Amino acid sequence: KLGKALNSALKKLARSRTVDEATIKEVVRDIQRALIQADVNVRMVLQLTKTIEKRALEEEPPAGASKKEHIIQIVYEELTKFLGKEAKPLEIKEKPTILLTVGIQGSGKTTSVAKLARHLQKRGYKVGLVCSDTWRPGAYFQLKQLVEPLGIEVFGDPEEKDAVKLAREGVEYFKEKGVDVIIVDSAGRHKEESGLIEEMRQISEAIKPHEVILVIDGTIGQQAYNQALAFKEATPIGSIIVTKLDGSAKGGGALSAVAATGAPIKFIGVGERIDDLEAFDPKRFVSRLLGMGDI
Amino acid sequence: MFGKLREKLKKFTQTVEEKIEEEEKVVEKKTPEETEEKKGFIERLLQVEIKEKDIEDALDELELELLEADVALETVEALREKIKEKLVGRKVRVGTNKGKIIEEALREAITEILTPEKRIDLIEMIKSKEEKPFVIAFVGFNGSGKTTTIAKLAHGLKKNGLSVVIAASDTFRAGAIEQLEEHAKRVGVKVIKHSYGADPAAVAYDAIQHAKARGIDVVLIDTAGRNELNRNLMDEMKKIARVTKPDLVIFVGDSLGGNSVVEQAKQFNEAVRIDGVILTKLDADARGGAALSISHAIGAPILFVGVGQGYDDLRPFDEKWFVERIFGEE
Repeated sequence: KLGKALNSALKKLARSRTVDEATIKEVVRDIQRALIQADVNVRMVLQLTKTIEKRALEEEPPAGASKKEHIIQIVYEELTKFLGKEAKPLEIKEKPTILLTVGIQGSGKTTSVAKLARHLQKRGYKVGLVCSDTWRPGAYFQLKQLVEPLGIEVFGDPEEKDAVKLAREGVEYFKEKGVDVIIVDSAGRHKEESGLIEEMRQISEAIKPHEVILVIDGTIGQQAYNQALAFKEATPIGSIIVTKLDGSAKGGGALSAVAATGAPIKFIGVGERIDDLEAFDPKRFVSRLLGMGDI
Repeated sequence: MFGKLREKLKKFTQTVEEKIEEEEKVVEKKTPEETEEKKGFIERLLQVEIKEKDIEDALDELELELLEADVALETVEALREKIKEKLVGRKVRVGTNKGKIIEEALREAITEILTPEKRIDLIEMIKSKEEKPFVIAFVGFNGSGKTTTIAKLAHGLKKNGLSVVIAASDTFRAGAIEQLEEHAKRVGVKVIKHSYGADPAAVAYDAIQHAKARGIDVVLIDTAGRNELNRNLMDEMKKIARVTKPDLVIFVGDSLGGNSVVEQAKQFNEAVRIDGVILTKLDADARGGAALSISHAIGAPILFVGVGQGYDDLRPFDEKWFVERIFGEE
C-alpha cells in the first residue's frame, strides 16, 4: 500500500517538467512515511531524509539519469550505507568455532539455531548444539525435534536450572567430541530483566564465544534500538539474524539494531522450515524497506 | 511503563498552551479605544480562539513522538484528526487553565480511539454461558506469546474457581506440546493432545468432548503461530474455528511489534473474527503504542496485557486504566 503511494509520488515527479524544491520535499516526505511504516527508527528516518533532501537539492543527476532516478539512487546509497554494501558471510576459522545466540523472547532464536546448524551441516561442518535455556518449558525438546532427524546432536538437561553451568558443560562435551562448530542457544530475555541480562553476560564469559549472534524479530518496532543496545552492552554482538521476514513485516526495526550494535546482518529467516534461512542481501533488503520490488 | 508517552503528551499540552498565551497577550494589548465602537468588547477581550496554526507545529511534533511510541502511522493520523477536531475553533477564556483544556481534549481523543464497540467481562461471560464448556481459541503470529499467555489465563481462571482444559492444537512447532504440558503441570490443568502432525481441529474437538463429558467450564485452544500472508495456515485456522465454534477468539499480539502488528491483526480479523486482544511483553519497556493501534484497527477490546514471565503476570486492561497510566501521576 505504501510502496504504491511511494511509487505514485515518484511517478508524479517523473511527469513534472521541472523539479523544484517543493517537489523534492514532497517526495522526501513520502519516503519518510514509507520508512516509518516499515518500522525504521523515527530519529534515523529524520536524519536520513535530511541527508537525502540536501543531496537531492544540491547534486546534479549524472549524465543520462533523470532527477527521479537520481533521487532513488541517493535513497539506496544512504540506506545501504547503514547496512554495509556487501554481504558478510559467517566465518568458521578455528576448530571448534563457538557461537552464542541471544535475543528477546519469541524472536526466533531456537528455530534460527536449528536453521544455522542445518546451513553449516550442508557445507560439510560437524555441528553440536547446546540448549542453555532453563526458562522456557519445552525448549530442549524443541531443539532436539528440529535437528535430531538430521543427525545433529543436542546437549541439554531440562531438569538443570543453572544456565551458565549447562552452557559450559555443553561446550566441553562437544569439544571432546571434536565437532567443528558449537552453537549455544540461550533463553529469551529483554533489557528490563536485569537478572537475565547478567546471566547472559556470565554465559558469554564462561564459554568465550567466537561470535555472539543477536536474533531479532523482523516485526519489532521502535524499541529495537534500545533493546539491541542493552544486549550489546552485556556481550559484544558480532552479527545479526533477522527473522520472520516471510510475513508482511518489512524489517525496519532491524536497521536500528544494526545501528545500535555496529554488527552486520548475516542471515534472514524467511519461514518456519529448517531450510528457510537466506544469506543477507543488502540491496534486496532496501527494496523491501521502501516497499518496492527488486530494481 | 508509559513514562515516555506521558512525557510527550505533556509536552504537547505545554506547547499549545504557550501559543495561546502569546495570542492572549496580543489581545490584552489592544486598548479599549480601538474596539470601543463594538459592543460587548470586554466579552471578546476575554476570549481567545484556538486556531489551527496554534496547534499545527505541536501536532507535527506529537506525531513523531507517537510514532516513536510504536503507534502505527494510520492510527497516528486518526488521532491527529480527532485532536484537531476537538481543539480548533474552541474559545478559551483568558485566565482559565488552558493546560487542562488541552489535556482533556487529548484524553478524550485517546479514549475514543481505545474504546471498543463492545466490552467483554470474561469471567462474567464464562459464568453466564448455560451450556458448558466455554471455548476460547487463541490465534497470532509466531513468537507473540500464545502458549505462555494460555498458561497464565488458565492459572487466572482457576483462581476464579473455574475448571479448565487445554487443547494442544499447535501440532506443528517443535517442542510446542512439551512446552504446554510443562506449563499445564505447573498450574495444575489437563492437556488434551495428539502427536505432532495431527489435525489441529481434531485435537480441539476432542478437548471439547472431554470437557463436555466431565463438566469442565473452559476449553483453551492453543494454535500454531502463523504468518498472515500464509494462505494454507490461515485456512487451517479458519477450519479450527469452524469445527470448534469458539465462544471467543483472542488475538495475541506482541507489544514490541511495530506497524506490522496492525497488519497482522487486520488479516487475522478478516480470516476469523477477533473478539478480544491480549498484548504481551509490555514489561519489555514497550511504549504501549500497539494498544492504541490494534484497538483502532480492528475495534476489538484489549482484555489483558502480559507483563512478565510468571503465571501471575497477566493484568486486566481497560481504556481508563491505560489512559490513567499515560496521564496520571507516576
